[in-house]
Amino acid sequence: MNAIVMVFVVLFPMAAGVLVPVLPFKNRTRMMIYIEGAVLFNSVLVFAMLLHQPREAFVLLKFTGNLSMSFRLDGLGTVFAAIVSVLWPLATLYAFEYMKQEGHEKIFFMFYTITYGVTLGIALAEDLVTMYCFYEMLSLVTLPLIMHTLSREAILASRTYLYYSMGGAAFAFIGVIFILIYGTTADFVPGGVLDTARVGSPGLLLLVYLLCFLGFSVKAALWPFSSWLPKAGVAPTPVTALLHAVAVVKAGAFTTMRVTYYSFGADFVRGTWVQSVLLCLTVFTIVYGCSRALKETHLKRRLAWSTVSNLSYILFGVALMTPLGLLGALCHMVFHAVMKICAFFCAGAVIHQTGKNYIYELDGIGYRMPKVFAAFTVSAMALMGVPGLCGFISKWKLVQAALESENSLACVGVAALLISALLTAIYMLSVSVRAFFPGGNFDPAGLEGGKDPNWMMLLPLAVFVAVMIGFGLHAQPLVRALESVAAGV
Amino acid sequence: MDGWILIPIFLPVIAGAALLAFRRGTAGKNSDTGMEDGMSGKAQPESAGELKRLHLLVGAVLFVSALFALAAAWSGERQVTLFYLMADIPIYFRIDQVGALFVTFTSIVWVAVGVYSFVYMKHEGRERQFFGFYLLVYGVLVALDFSGNLVTLYMFYELMSLTSMPLVLHNRSREAVMAALKYLFYSMCGAYCGLFGIFFLYKYCDTLTFTAGGTLNLLLLGENGGLLLVAVFMMILGFGVKAGMLPMHAWLPTAHPVAPSPASAVLSGIIVKAGVLAVFRVIYYVVGPEFIRGTWVQTAWMSLALLTVFMGSLLAYREKVFKKRLAYSTVSQASYILFGLSLLSEAGVTGALLHSVFHAFIKSALFLTAGIFIFQCGKTRVEELRGIGKRMPKTLWCFTFAALALIGIPPASGFISKWYLAQGALEANVGVFGWLGPVVLLISALLTAGYLLPVTVRGFFPGSRAETSKEKAENELGAQAGQEDAEAVREHGGEPALGMLVPLAVMAALAVLLGLFPGALIEYAARIAAAVL
Repeated sequence: MNAIVMVFVVLFPMAAGVLVPVLPFKNRTRMMIYIEGAVLFNSVLVFAMLLHQPREAFVLLKFTGNLSMSFRLDGLGTVFAAIVSVLWPLATLYAFEYMKQEGHEKIFFMFYTITYGVTLGIALAEDLVTMYCFYEMLSLVTLPLIMHTLSREAILASRTYLYYSMGGAAFAFIGVIFILIYGTTADFVPGGVLDTARVGSPGLLLLVYLLCFLGFSVKAALWPFSSWLPKAGVAPTPVTALLHAVAVVKAGAFTTMRVTYYSFGADFVRGTWVQSVLLCLTVFTIVYGCSRALKETHLKRRLAWSTVSNLSYILFGVALMTPLGLLGALCHMVFHAVMKICAFFCAGAVIHQTGKNYIYELDGIGYRMPKVFAAFTVSAMALMGVPGLCGFISKWKLVQAALESENSLACVGVAALLISALLTAIYMLSVSVRAFFPGGNFDPAGLEGGKDPNWMMLLPLAVFVAVMIGFGLHAQPLVRALESVAAGV
Repeated sequence: MDGWILIPIFLPVIAGAALLAFRRGTAGKNSDTGMEDGMSGKAQPESAGELKRLHLLVGAVLFVSALFALAAAWSGERQVTLFYLMADIPIYFRIDQVGALFVTFTSIVWVAVGVYSFVYMKHEGRERQFFGFYLLVYGVLVALDFSGNLVTLYMFYELMSLTSMPLVLHNRSREAVMAALKYLFYSMCGAYCGLFGIFFLYKYCDTLTFTAGGTLNLLLLGENGGLLLVAVFMMILGFGVKAGMLPMHAWLPTAHPVAPSPASAVLSGIIVKAGVLAVFRVIYYVVGPEFIRGTWVQTAWMSLALLTVFMGSLLAYREKVFKKRLAYSTVSQASYILFGLSLLSEAGVTGALLHSVFHAFIKSALFLTAGIFIFQCGKTRVEELRGIGKRMPKTLWCFTFAALALIGIPPASGFISKWYLAQGALEANVGVFGWLGPVVLLISALLTAGYLLPVTVRGFFPGSRAETSKEKAENELGAQAGQEDAEAVREHGGEPALGMLVPLAVMAALAVLLGLFPGALIEYAARIAAAVL
């Protein structure tokens, strides 16, 4: 298997996306076939590549000196690329149905497909500079997706998103510079690349690491940089579901993993005040996100706050600075992707079929859309961490890592995880209960329209439910694979 | 080889799920006409033939699974590993003596209450939904009783909370939905407290598989004893939520009045016991009683249990709504059991196990009576029950026997278990609790007499007609309402159908007879107690 495939899977979606508005499609169906075909083809290629695991690097561009744009596949990248390439075709399928009512489809699918390539670029980047480039690019290409409706609210939201992302990237850039100066190389090496001879006093470098972590974690919506995510919920649901529950936010988590375990090195940070700061922030965000979710009555925004909380589960795992912590973080990265995209797709299906956005409007809707709400309930239970569904596995691994790390703040984190689980139960199940068991004075006549959507929306839901149950009951192979990834660091 | 012990778990679960799914299926078909079951706020009547088939199906499934459950429970020790959640965490079932005991009384009560609900649920409607969840919960409970390790137990504990919640909100009134949510969130809160402890136990125990006497590894524990004590206490509190232990008892009096009576009966009689079972398993099969003996955890646990015993009885005594009174009574009685467990002595554990069994029968009998009162004449408050014994003497006799058993008047069953509980307290070398425990139990027994017997007394001996002025006015109003209504009341007010009376009589008879012939049961419970201590 040639290493050039790595570049191809990054560039092909970008090219395919750019061509969407240019190509003369006879009708909508042709366009759908073209886009889905391109995305599916790319995913198949990615999978072929992941199976063959090309070891060598591929240098695309050489800027100057040791700055280059190069790609290489390693364990961590495999995980992220696998998540993205499984979810993208399904989300695209869902988007065809959903976007019918939103308009401007060509522009939408152009950026949607380009984002696929950019996200893979982050996953496959060999060094910090390449990753940084794609990280910036990701902010830019997803911006039009957020302001898709061009309403005032959407434009404000996209502006917030842009400021937050750019600010975060600027902080992260400081870290990139320092790694270029103090590291032996800018490439990602498990265990870190800091040149101990050159470091001298670590005080400044710790601060830089903190800034860099915080900068990248803006995309992962760490408090106090979390408010862009719920605001961005004005975007069409395929965007909120795929980008704001998986691709973009997980890219934030992924980059923090890279700088922590592959650039600065976990040993460098473990036990310092920086670790305490990060643990405090993540633990706080876990509870804060859930509390805000509880307060929110807008279904998609509630799910967005829930994402804020769950992303901090991942960051919490990262901040434990142990291989076990990374394992927990990776588990949750995979499982949360499936659980949350499923919940978002259900919310989107409701909006698509009935135009209802608020939770108090959902009385009895479970009778109109039983399949959608069955899927929603499964994802709710998975998010709560009911054993037998995948959320339990990742929580178990995270807690195990926290207890093994013998850090007193980590024990606080365990309590936070459980409080968050309880709050999750409250904010997710109250929706399900409302949908399936409306109050006695419920009037069925008021529930006009709305029934289960067609197969394009249901198929992704069915796949996600199957994955949640499948991994919940039999997670061992996946956990073992992730273990081998995490063991390297 | 032993795979067939999964039948009583999966048969009801599959049947229940099928019932629920089928309901949705028909709802989809009927959606054009707008006549959907469950769509409308009111119950939609199902046709008689459909109902008959439903009852036949549910009855058959229930009966067959109960038979298999009993067969599995009493055919010696068996085990099955279903699958592995993670490398070292199997979902694993093993039937031991405790599991067998719990499965036995669960199955008996479940079948009896099931028969009762065939009649009772006519007036609640949505029977398909009710029986669907009723079967589901049964399967989950059997799995819970058969669980062979802590994670399996936890898994089915959570599933039990989720599947029993729809039983509470069955009538769909606003209060019912809120009560169900309250029940769910209390349970979840408890479950997560329990999970908190499980995380720690996983780290410090050799295995989470239940082993009589505990599996705590003191070498691993090292200096972290204090931390683990906190975790264990969290588990007691957490699983104690289901058993209605203070300070998390409030879901019981909220959930019971709005739930259909058969649901209340199994909630109080059986599901509360799941909390007891979980605490029992944690303390005696994983942590080990020696670890908490003499620590602040034991003291706090005993204090909370005793406080709950007393407060529950007191609140029951003051309560006027009949089912709420019974709910408070459950709060109090479940803590008798927890108190017995907290003593960490053989007699205490024996008493706790006996009381679990007896209370299951007694409390279901009491709730079935309350259900009959509601079903036959719509009476929910205690003062409305004046003179009810004239109309339904058999029902009230059953109630009286159960009440006597609960108070603990010899030779009815409650006496035996309380005897062992008191003996356990005296033996256990627990300082002030040695005498405080029996005293509180005695006071609580008096209060129990105070809140249960007046129903009997006034039921049979209503006294003269001229009571308070308010009642007088009511009587006059009733007289004005006309001859027809009065006749209707009389017609509905008689003894209930056999389908309701027989399960009640069976429960009440068991409550008394187990007290008369307790030998084998005591021996069995004592054997368990000796094994774990």
